[in-house]
Amino acid sequence: MAARGGVAVEERVGQVVLPGDVLVVPAHPDEDGERLRLGAPPAPHTRLLCGPGLRRCDAGLLVTKCGLLRHRQAAGGAYWVDSQQKRYVPIKGDHAIGIVTAKAGDVFKLDVGGSEQASLSYLAFEGATKRNRPNVQVGDLIYGQFVVANKDMEPEMVCVDSSGRSSGMGIIGQDGFLFKVSLGLIRKLLAPKSEIIQELSQLYPFEMVLGMNGRIWVKARTVQQTLIIVNILEACEYMTAEQRKQAFAKLSGN
Amino acid sequence: MKPSPVSNCERRFLLRAIEEGKRLDGRQCYDYRNVRISFGTEYGCCIVELGKTRVLAQVSCELVPPKPSRPTEGILFVNLELSPMAAPGLEPGRQSDLLVKLNRQIERCLRNSRCIDTESLCVVAGEKVWQIRLDMHLLNHDGNIIDAASIAGIVALCHFRRPDVSVQGEEVTVYTPEERDPVPLSIHHMPICVSFAFFQQGTYLLVDPSEREERVMDGLLVIAMNKHQEICTIDSSGGIVLLKNQVLRCSKITAVKVAEITELIQKALENDQKVRKEGGKFGFAESIPNQKITAFKMESAAVDTNNVEEQAEEIITKADPPSEVFANPVLYTPGTAQIGEGIENSWGDFEESEREEAAEEEGEGDATASECQKMEIEGTSIIEETKTDEPILLSDSEEEEVVILQPQELPKKTRAQTNLKQGSTSKKAFIKRRKKKRAAH
Amino acid sequence: VAMELWGYRAMGGSCLRPFSCELGPLSRPDGSAAFLQGDTSVLAALYGPAEAKGNRELPERAALEVLLRPKTGLPGVGERSREQLLRRTCEAVVLGRLHPRCAVSVVLQVVADGGSLLSCCLNAACMGLLDAGLPLASLFCGVTCALHPDGSLILDPTTRQEQEARAVLTFAIDSAEKKVLMASTKGACSMEEMQQCIAAAQSAADTIFQFYRDSIRRRYSKS
Repeated sequence: MAARGGVAVEERVGQVVLPGDVLVVPAHPDEDGERLRLGAPPAPHTRLLCGPGLRRCDAGLLVTKCGLLRHRQAAGGAYWVDSQQKRYVPIKGDHAIGIVTAKAGDVFKLDVGGSEQASLSYLAFEGATKRNRPNVQVGDLIYGQFVVANKDMEPEMVCVDSSGRSSGMGIIGQDGFLFKVSLGLIRKLLAPKSEIIQELSQLYPFEMVLGMNGRIWVKARTVQQTLIIVNILEACEYMTAEQRKQAFAKLSGN
Repeated sequence: MKPSPVSNCERRFLLRAIEEGKRLDGRQCYDYRNVRISFGTEYGCCIVELGKTRVLAQVSCELVPPKPSRPTEGILFVNLELSPMAAPGLEPGRQSDLLVKLNRQIERCLRNSRCIDTESLCVVAGEKVWQIRLDMHLLNHDGNIIDAASIAGIVALCHFRRPDVSVQGEEVTVYTPEERDPVPLSIHHMPICVSFAFFQQGTYLLVDPSEREERVMDGLLVIAMNKHQEICTIDSSGGIVLLKNQVLRCSKITAVKVAEITELIQKALENDQKVRKEGGKFGFAESIPNQKITAFKMESAAVDTNNVEEQAEEIITKADPPSEVFANPVLYTPGTAQIGEGIENSWGDFEESEREEAAEEEGEGDATASECQKMEIEGTSIIEETKTDEPILLSDSEEEEVVILQPQELPKKTRAQTNLKQGSTSKKAFIKRRKKKRAAH
Repeated sequence: VAMELWGYRAMGGSCLRPFSCELGPLSRPDGSAAFLQGDTSVLAALYGPAEAKGNRELPERAALEVLLRPKTGLPGVGERSREQLLRRTCEAVVLGRLHPRCAVSVVLQVVADGGSLLSCCLNAACMGLLDAGLPLASLFCGVTCALHPDGSLILDPTTRQEQEARAVLTFAIDSAEKKVLMASTKGACSMEEMQQCIAAAQSAADTIFQFYRDSIRRRYSKS
């Protein structure tokens, strides 16, 4: 079977991999690569990063999720699996949109779509002090960042960066609309220079917040315009670039 | 599993959109979502999709004694299940308020409207009647369960065929489908529910609410009607005050929707019947659209099984032969008997945590066992042969120490390592642990 | 039906019925799959990793729950025992240690039973796990073999073939080393026959895993 044969990892980049597939990492990538990179000085030996959907095993890398294998050259290289998933698992450093479910003493409890509710201290807002508490109600939306997120602990969010600035985080306005898309689509939207976002921004002005947990908040000038964006983004899930351009052309014509 | 809460901004936005006469999916206030009906290969089985809401219905029948109060009438039993797959938060086997309400509504719509001729289901008066059982399962909850269920229910009943029976004197003969064609139920009319959601104390109304709209609605009005514009049941919940002309307007809308849906149902039924008659392909496999990228089909595939006999032979010859079976019972004292030497007692053998681990990885253990001989299935237990001459190594303990025991001391509690390839449940754990050992080295 | 039966026989019974699969047919669950083998059809829905309810919580791994819903009537002893078999099989491949104190629930709905139901349940469950994106060590598939009284071996039997058979054996085969993760047998068979069935199931597994791979490839063809 192809799976156990242990295919070299480079060969699979951009292809679909399934759990159980074993990918072989060349023992000394620099030595092998020397022949190809004629003249160029061999890159210093750096660590290879094994991203989501991959685990180390005896023979190399074991695939644990299905999806497309991706590779990034920078800093020793990184491999990961790009998979379509709906359920979010909090990861440290991720920005996410949470819904306030309870105010418990010094902390707010946020539903982020993960297995456990995240906690958010009322002091973790820009300019918040013991006296000056942020005005947060149950049911409000909060855009924040995970500072604690691992499998064994309750996830914890903050709405300030390391220098105490909000840098865009905090309570999201009362208007606008919240909806959910797959995690794969969110990553596509958050990619630098995402085509979808660029195409959307040419339609009309609107505000948007994208959470890594698949939640999107949108606010345009009118209800109608907001609804159009919601519907476009929901439809983007299974559209090729081609189909999407046609859909946009149709909309901008109207 | 908890459902995700509704945020204030969603609620506010939905209500504002409704005020402006707009809906999330681009529908108008009075628009119904698309209805899709697909049939299974069996009679009386269908899946109805109302937008993304999905209901599976199956009709079955059985001969039972009638109810004493109605000795000449068959029985219609209706049951709707909210499967835990339909939405997070639905628990199996729990009679929630919603479930009770839905079941009561569907019963009123299908049974109390007398849409089925129950008298035609009588076989022998007072003795044997057909009980028609309609099972419905909600597979995906995206709002308006009741409409989807009522359509699925009536479609399944129309599609169903019961075995033909004949009565000669006292004798009742039930014919198999090969002997006589099964007969359809006699259905008087087709009641269909249409739901209306009310917002802002009845100021705004929406037909066929989606799940998100249901979460922010104030009240719900359900009208069941047939295509002859006869109202079968009406149900208003949520404690809203409706005016007379509001109800009248709703019933007019219902009449239009019911006419459309009835036509669709009839077309779907005719289509299915035509395909069956012409011997074409039918069933759920045909209802999966080919062009979807999430769907994939494979034609009947041949599997090369020519060399299975050789493979099996090889495995069996490679495996250690099963040890000698002590056929002669040993009698110690009158009243006792023993065959062989018994197998090891694994009680208190290893610690609780280890035991858990072993149980957890039993699947893997199974695999190991399958490579040796699967003796459990044959029902024969294996009796261990203990070697009496040489000392036996017991690498049992979690620590790295090796205990050497004299075989005479504990002849029945030891295991020769050479015999490891013979399976028994405790043995699997043993193999497992050996593996762990090796990993530790 | 009779024609089909003869067709399988003529080919030595070593034929899988047409397979179809739809990934993510349901909008609410975290993962779902519809799996069809001939006339047998099972729908799988997955929730998780989600919050575990009270006593279900396990301190160092995810608690896996499998529910099998029959089409008519309420789940009985038969469903319960199959749930156990399915749960054990899923537990063998799911890397539950990555999600301690979480719950994963797999709900399987029988949509149509035309024979080889347990293997169809296994296949649907595995496709559901794939669609939900849970971390797996490997895949598994289900294969049912029927031993006909005349000694011939039938793969993926229909209900009729199961009824006629002397023994019906279902195996779950894992994709990494094609080991047997689960075995369930009904009826009597010899050891040789059982080994033959395992060998046949293992070669059928290749075809099924290729089917899995092709389905997933198609799903990711647009991203």
